[in-house]
Amino acid sequence: MFLERYSLYLRAGLVMIAGLLLGLFTTVLSLNAGYGFNALEAGPWTAWPSVGVPDSDPYARAVIARTGETPLGRDQGLVFTASTDSSGAPLDGACDYTLEDPTPPARFWTLGIVSTKGSLFANPTGRFGYSSADILRHEGGGFNINVSRNMQTGNWLSPGEAHQFSFILRLYDTPLDVDTQPKADRFPKITKLNCA
Amino acid sequence: MMILDRLLNFLPWALATLMIAAMVHLVSVLLMPALAPKDAYARLASYAKTVGINEGVVALPPITPGAEILPFEDASFVEAACIYDLSRRPYHVTASAEGEDFFGLSFHASGGRIYHAITDRSAIKGKFDIILGNTRQMEAIENASDGAAPLQEVRITAPTSRGFVMLRVLAKRGSDQARIREQLKSVKCENFDLPKN
Repeated sequence: MFLERYSLYLRAGLVMIAGLLLGLFTTVLSLNAGYGFNALEAGPWTAWPSVGVPDSDPYARAVIARTGETPLGRDQGLVFTASTDSSGAPLDGACDYTLEDPTPPARFWTLGIVSTKGSLFANPTGRFGYSSADILRHEGGGFNINVSRNMQTGNWLSPGEAHQFSFILRLYDTPLDVDTQPKADRFPKITKLNCA
Repeated sequence: MMILDRLLNFLPWALATLMIAAMVHLVSVLLMPALAPKDAYARLASYAKTVGINEGVVALPPITPGAEILPFEDASFVEAACIYDLSRRPYHVTASAEGEDFFGLSFHASGGRIYHAITDRSAIKGKFDIILGNTRQMEAIENASDGAAPLQEVRITAPTSRGFVMLRVLAKRGSDQARIREQLKSVKCENFDLPKN
């Protein structure tokens, strides 16, 4: 009796609750998916140039406010991150990787390793990345970085005990064109070696 | 027939659910910058409070694991921030970019979004001289100077009265950090009184 009489109200209430949950769910999904629109992709590397301009889109603004990061200005540089290797497999802390040149043109670049939340991994050498000025190079200017939990000779970065991590390539004062997708072969190659 | 009837009965409710979901989604995305509790401004302000700096330049500590104030910052950089409030008076930032180091200044509204950015490449004779103000303050400054700004001065209208300026200098080698930290001490950030006319 009671249910029949108020069934429309009950349905309307259910619709509102379902709509609210669905709306919040899509917000969380879209904010976890990157920084809004216009991503630049080059192999495993992705950048969002639109976070560094004054008229950034509402999704980019929302993500930045939520994570608490301070983006680089578009005129200052571009930040590329990679969470997979060059074959597309997700980066795994249990595996060893090697990163090889080239790097896109820039006045300076730095190449580092960060957690998915943007924090650094503690390691005995206190090294969290290399810059174009302090990386050890081969004869001829090329370089490679060994990525492993265990200490390595040469350029070495460690993900510590983490399972997931990202590489982060920052290009300062870069002439890279953001209106066209860059070529993957101008970016560092990430190769999986062996897994523990 | 039964199935079709039931579907038709259900359809308006499904559409209503989707409509509400779309509205909730848009509103929550648009409100996020205003409501997010741990945006960059809040993080910097709480750090400034713990070290007891109320105004001027807040030198940020070296970026080390577990002690990051902001996420996704470059550990090769020496950083400082100036947290401003334009509600009463405009703001003046002066810094000098020495040598070949990459020196970037970016201007952020309270939610963290960027509204202006420059590097040492655009510094005039190695100096940054920047006036920040809201629309009303900028008009007063323009009127007082008859539109002719001093040559090296850059005037920027800020979109929100609270925000911060990030100063980032690249230490190409770890050994450069101490020198750059010293150099950043010469940066000045302060409110100033509007010219009277």
